[in-house]
Amino acid sequence: MKKGLIKATDAFERIVHWSLAVSCLILCITGLGMMFHSFNFIGTLMGGLKSLKYIHNFSGLFFILAIVFTIRMWWKEAGIFSMPEDLEWMMCAGGYLWHVDKVPEVGKYNPGQKAFFLAVAFFGVIMVITGLIMWFPFYFPVELVRWMYPLHALGFVVIFAFFFVHLYLGTIGSPGSLPAMLHGWVTRAWLKKQHAKWLREMEETGKLEVFGEEKKAAHGH
Amino acid sequence: MAEKVKLIDVAKCTGCRSCQLACKQWNQLPARQTSAAGTYQNPPDLQPNTWTLIRFQEVVEKEGVKWLFRKDGCMHCTNAACVKVCPSGALYHSDLGTVGIIKERCIGCKECVAACPFEIPRYDSVTDKVYKCDLCLSRIRADLPPACVKACPTGALTFGDKGDMLKLAYRRAGELGGDASVYGDKFVDGTHVLYILQEKPGVYDVLPVKPHVLLSVMAWKDLLKPLSLVAAGGVLAASFLHYIIHGPKTPDEDDNHKTEGGA
Repeated sequence: MKKGLIKATDAFERIVHWSLAVSCLILCITGLGMMFHSFNFIGTLMGGLKSLKYIHNFSGLFFILAIVFTIRMWWKEAGIFSMPEDLEWMMCAGGYLWHVDKVPEVGKYNPGQKAFFLAVAFFGVIMVITGLIMWFPFYFPVELVRWMYPLHALGFVVIFAFFFVHLYLGTIGSPGSLPAMLHGWVTRAWLKKQHAKWLREMEETGKLEVFGEEKKAAHGH
Repeated sequence: MAEKVKLIDVAKCTGCRSCQLACKQWNQLPARQTSAAGTYQNPPDLQPNTWTLIRFQEVVEKEGVKWLFRKDGCMHCTNAACVKVCPSGALYHSDLGTVGIIKERCIGCKECVAACPFEIPRYDSVTDKVYKCDLCLSRIRADLPPACVKACPTGALTFGDKGDMLKLAYRRAGELGGDASVYGDKFVDGTHVLYILQEKPGVYDVLPVKPHVLLSVMAWKDLLKPLSLVAAGGVLAASFLHYIIHGPKTPDEDDNHKTEGGA
């Protein structure tokens, strides 16, 4: 790790993130294997479509655990919009789509990330509820069960599409972001560009952890 | 091969259940112990090992009681919801227009159970698979009628080319007159099991008056399923265009010299 890098995430955050990411990815891939006949071969790779079904269902249990921790952990930071600065940020699309002279500064999460979190949290819960009912359909009235399938598909449409947005903006679309979820240390320049308000807050409250430096004013409050 | 149809003339059915037995015999479906439930109908419902069942009803009328027998089982829809939802291709349309089932491919997801407008497929938790009538596809291919048709002693069941059966059905319904009607050719693009009903369709137990592929199935398979790939593909294309037109969002002047974020 280079000197001067700033800690953006702790290990717990990263473990929760990757638990959700891995289980979600397995669910997407195995789900595709069941949704499209042309992707049935994914089942063949897993020892048959029936094995794939079980992998899907049991990954779902792991996903439940991950989504619970995800929501608990990020609800306060990413689940609530702070007006009016978030609205201003959205009005200029965070400077992602056209040239903006001065993008409003954001805290730990920008409104785009908040929207992504809310979509994942909301549709994640939908996926869990619909998925469990689809797993045990005979315990529920058939009129209810019938609508679980399109709802599950709708959740997939949203999460799968958002996944690629997330993938792009977490890697080449926003260089310097990925390390936040790999080892957790990011550059000051990246923080200043992406989350200037958060950087300032950490500096003011003494929560800023710089690699190779003693934590300043560790007893901030 | 030409499309085949099984015609069920309920007016000729005496409720002898030869068809039920012949089905079990040909398809090697041993019976299970049942208990008297105060009705002639036995077993009480379709089961994973009972693919056809005579449904029995007593209809009280002004002068006395009328008995209704209806042979229930897969209707072999042209636009079959079960085939539409089946993830593994276990359920499929045969070239005869019937809906076949490949047991080995069934993964026991039970999606067809909720999708079928006629409530036909039955799930067996022991084998974790779904079962239903395949109209004795192996027999038809060998130029034999389905086992139930072969066993019917009254001529209530007939089997043949779709066109012939339709003609026969409408002629017979006309002969019967009154409330008699042909049931099956007007919905789900036509079923390959047709009824000549003596009463109005609504009189018969478990028989939907206007069966159709459910809206939930269409929303799921015709709209959301393709949309999932379209949306994801759109995002990928948009990301690529964003990268080459607008470019990534990079930090301004770097305090830490040129470090692309750690490592």
